[in-house]
Amino acid sequence: MTLDIAIRWTEVLLAFAIFQQSVEHLPAIRSERNLVAMRIPIALVLLSGFASSYAVWILTGMSVLLLRRFDGPYNGGADKMSLLILTCLSLVHHAPSLFWAEMAMAYLAIQVVLSYFVSGWVKLQNPDWRNGTALRDVFGFSAYPVTENLRRLSDAPRLTFTASWAVIALEVAFPLALSSSVVLLAALATTALFHLANAIVFGLNRFFWIWLAAYPSLIWFQMRVVPPTL
Amino acid sequence: MVRRTIELFLPALIPSWRFFKSVEASPRIEYRILQGSSHSEWTSSFERPVSLTPLQFAQRLLWNSDWNNHLFMVSCAERLTEHVTQHSIDELNTRISRRINDADLSGLLQFRLLFLSRHGHQLVKEIEYESQPVALADIVK
Repeated sequence: MTLDIAIRWTEVLLAFAIFQQSVEHLPAIRSERNLVAMRIPIALVLLSGFASSYAVWILTGMSVLLLRRFDGPYNGGADKMSLLILTCLSLVHHAPSLFWAEMAMAYLAIQVVLSYFVSGWVKLQNPDWRNGTALRDVFGFSAYPVTENLRRLSDAPRLTFTASWAVIALEVAFPLALSSSVVLLAALATTALFHLANAIVFGLNRFFWIWLAAYPSLIWFQMRVVPPTL
Repeated sequence: MVRRTIELFLPALIPSWRFFKSVEASPRIEYRILQGSSHSEWTSSFERPVSLTPLQFAQRLLWNSDWNNHLFMVSCAERLTEHVTQHSIDELNTRISRRINDADLSGLLQFRLLFLSRHGHQLVKEIEYESQPVALADIVK
């Protein structure tokens, strides 16, 4: 995947994610609705590929305004990733040379790798995650399960223990996926399913769409830094 | 203002990625309406459904407005216990008032934050914050 193709795919997926976030936010109070609604036509411009460098800059500015409006991210990690991708794309588009454009894209790719590895590493350090208690607590009393029935999963210690270690292993081992393009694609398919599961069980739909938007940067990065095996 | 903008922007540019490093006490937001010397019972500001159909799960991938609003209210509740700000108080008052179907705006709205945590095998609820009552008619919707 060339840098230009990675940039274009990132823009397309990002445009969709921002469009989805913005349309979903329209039933809000007026002060939010107007600010969010302004992103919709700009996201469509980004999707079209016409003047996308300007669309990215404008969306970055709007995201900073939203940060101020909500005194932080409205939707936690999803909004942070949205702003990270927008910032990196802005730098890519306005970099003084190809080298700096690649550095900006590489920074995004490295942050995506860290988003998995660091998340897994801190879980691995926590005895409650290693023995499955943390995941049982997530289902038992955290704000995240979308239905009352899902709370019953806290009564399945073997399932939560297995799921805990599956998540830890997936996240901690993720950097190894950079070893080959085939392994990376398989890893991304797995992490996409992981985000889909979180979207379904914990209602974290925005995380799913925005993390997908970061994947082209990883595919490009792997091909750029790891030589193909003969 | 610039300093606050930078403080908010930097964590997006240099994230910590420490998702769910530990499961902290979880907030529940309850409210009541005060009318003169009487008041309603404390009521949860959000009720999750007992179950969802596969179609409803699928729909929520694209449209999850109510739930994301609820998650933001949870975020405001957590922020309030770390550092009381008028912004978080106003956000919770506004979002709670939108959920109240009562057309009567003559009362005062008050909310409280309960935090659930596990102590051994027991779930414990603790009241961490109670707001000052605010006239419903004064809350911007």
